[in-house]
Amino acid sequence: MTAVATTADGVIPRQTPASVKFLGREAAYWRLRIKGAVLLVFTLGLYRFWFATDVRRFLWSHTEIGGETLEYTGLAGELLGGFLLAIAIVVPLYTGIAVAALALDAAEGVIAGIAFVLLVLLGQMALYRARRYRLTHTVFRGVRFDQHGAAWRYALYALAWWTLIVVTLGLAYPWAQAGLQRFKMRHTSYGDLAGSFAGSGTALFLRGLPIWLAVFGPLVGAFVALSRMVDWDALNRMIAAGGNSPLAVLVGGAGAAPFVVAGTAAVASILAALSLYPLFAATMMRWWISGLRFGAVSVRSHLRTWQIYRIYLRFVGLLTLFLLALAVIVGVGVALFNLAVRPNRDVAELLTSTFTVILYVVAALGASTIYQVAVTFALWRQSAQSAELSGAAALAEVRAAGAPSSALGEGLADALGVGGI
Amino acid sequence: MDEPATPRAPAVYFDGTSSARNDVIVEAGQSGLRILAAPGTGRTLARLLDEWNYAELRRASAPAGVLRLARRGETLLARLEIRDARLAATIEKRAEALDRGGAAERRLQRRVIGLGFAAAASLTLTAAFGLPALAGRIIPFIPLAVERKLGDAVDKNIRAAMDSQHLGTAFVCGANDGEAAGRAALDKLVGKLQAAAALPFPLAVEVVRRAAANAVALPGGRIYVNEGLIAQARTPDELAGVLAHEIGHVAHRDGVRTVLQTAGLSFLFGMMLGDFVGGGAVVIAARTVLRSAYSRRVEAAVDAYSVDLMTKAGGDPRALGVILARIAEDKDEGVRLLLEHPETRERIAAINAVAVTGATRPLLDAAGWDALKRICGSPAKDTANAVR
Repeated sequence: MTAVATTADGVIPRQTPASVKFLGREAAYWRLRIKGAVLLVFTLGLYRFWFATDVRRFLWSHTEIGGETLEYTGLAGELLGGFLLAIAIVVPLYTGIAVAALALDAAEGVIAGIAFVLLVLLGQMALYRARRYRLTHTVFRGVRFDQHGAAWRYALYALAWWTLIVVTLGLAYPWAQAGLQRFKMRHTSYGDLAGSFAGSGTALFLRGLPIWLAVFGPLVGAFVALSRMVDWDALNRMIAAGGNSPLAVLVGGAGAAPFVVAGTAAVASILAALSLYPLFAATMMRWWISGLRFGAVSVRSHLRTWQIYRIYLRFVGLLTLFLLALAVIVGVGVALFNLAVRPNRDVAELLTSTFTVILYVVAALGASTIYQVAVTFALWRQSAQSAELSGAAALAEVRAAGAPSSALGEGLADALGVGGI
Repeated sequence: MDEPATPRAPAVYFDGTSSARNDVIVEAGQSGLRILAAPGTGRTLARLLDEWNYAELRRASAPAGVLRLARRGETLLARLEIRDARLAATIEKRAEALDRGGAAERRLQRRVIGLGFAAAASLTLTAAFGLPALAGRIIPFIPLAVERKLGDAVDKNIRAAMDSQHLGTAFVCGANDGEAAGRAALDKLVGKLQAAAALPFPLAVEVVRRAAANAVALPGGRIYVNEGLIAQARTPDELAGVLAHEIGHVAHRDGVRTVLQTAGLSFLFGMMLGDFVGGGAVVIAARTVLRSAYSRRVEAAVDAYSVDLMTKAGGDPRALGVILARIAEDKDEGVRLLLEHPETRERIAAINAVAVTGATRPLLDAAGWDALKRICGSPAKDTANAVR
């Protein structure tokens, strides 16, 4: 793709404007990820700002839209600054909550509830502001992306939707996604080209309903079946008598049957969730990409479900191989060490605990690195490759607008542990 | 040298005011780049679009095979993309700011890694030594009322966790018939220790139906003694020694200390140093290691307090060491004092080193001790309670 092809008069030919490509090679990404993981260990995680910047530079600069690649202009120092600023906000907030919980005699539940809502709102604000940082530090054809709109407004909107999702056992999720994506894209622009979102919540609901039924159906069914098994009279008598062990009555009449029903339903639900997750991911990704609009430019995703299944299966395979290899190395190592050294008990205990921690770090970081490459990177590449732009001519006549934003949102998201970096 | 003085090649130029793609010819002169509009049809002379000095050039991130240039201190996002390898090499050679080969980038990265390493070491040392010192300075300023409130909050959770059989009010010994005498004996023993300790607030000591030979002190002066500890004690002074140890935690306000230190550790290891592994396990491991380091110091101080208090109360200060040794040996039932406690042998040696030997009188008479041993009723009655 990067080979130079020049015509006779020395001018680079224009490439077809409608395609999206991903030029990054997986081997290079593996190197980037492994090096970053090692440095994270030795700096106890402080390297994460530089790591995130390197990763974004790689992913952005290898994503090509209509022959031109994206550019990430954010700096690690900015992320660090945003994080330190966030610490200055979050620490007094946590302290305030702790002091309030001790000082006020109002029911602890009230304070905990208020604190929870406050932190959820702050987390959503952080995510919205972090998105703004990433967009305003994304440059395409010499023009930056932008996001406006008040973060607190988005946070309230998101809180309302997520409450509804919980209340409806996830059935409101498609409309929530549509609403939140519309909010985000309406406030997104590329230069003077305004963004919008055309995905429909109802369409997503219809596509997702079979998945929901397969995952939640067994649980709902089991709940109905169990409520029929309960001897309600006995339960009422027991409660009236002041007994405090409702489970004994619930189980007493029916023997092992309730456990069988509940267990079968739980296993069926978990199996359905695991095996349908790639389908869910593919459905979401297709729906989201196909809904993106910038002015007259629209995107269509030709992502295939089997491609996503292949990605997840490959991840499971690689993870299994990695863990097996680790187990073999550790087993052989321990056996050889015990044969060769025969340490006394105190030394053995110390060594065991030290190696357990090291082993845990290696296993966890290895697994997360494999996930990042085999899933995150592969999803990015696959989604980019399968996207198609129409009306892309409009991308060539955009006026520059907007200014880079601060990294406070990224820092807040990091400090609150809601993701981001 | 066959390299021309001013090599030129086609490139792509974005001027930063619009997304229009300009096909240009770039000419690498001695002091800078000349960006010329590519001659279109009907035009013979190339028009000069812009001139960039080598000193102001900056490398922007780009895919392999592309040299993407920007200008330092730019307000516009003008970009020049060069794919011609020969031209790119010339520019990289002439513009030192572009950091050919990435030596400056590597130097910066090494500095970041070095600083990150130093910061991690500094934060770990702060956690190991700074936090306990800071907690010690802050504790005197925390009002007792706050400590008591904290104790009440902790008490609910601790009791729920300890009361594994869900006995409710029956979890506490000394309320049933035949247990009142034991309760009175306990109050007498606690009274003697409390008088000698002269604490600014009253203690609340309860014996609970739990088999592990252990006792625990909460912030605000509440102490729970397990039934199993009383079963293990052979003399009143052995029990009193453990009680004096727990009173030491109360006097030193170790409950508040723990809360402060835990909060500090969460801040240092949960927030400053990111949870880079995921799942929080490394954070938990680091906290556990540091907490056990704190606990060694705290327990040693409290053992010394116990010796001092027992001596003041007229009891045998070495009895604590005796019961510790017995509990440590009793591995059949798997009962052990808290894992966080330092090695029992070291502790006993330290206790015996500071304890003054001399004839002492038990802190309870034989009748009182007998009653105290039955504060949780007889074993048979206890089992019946558990089933009911």
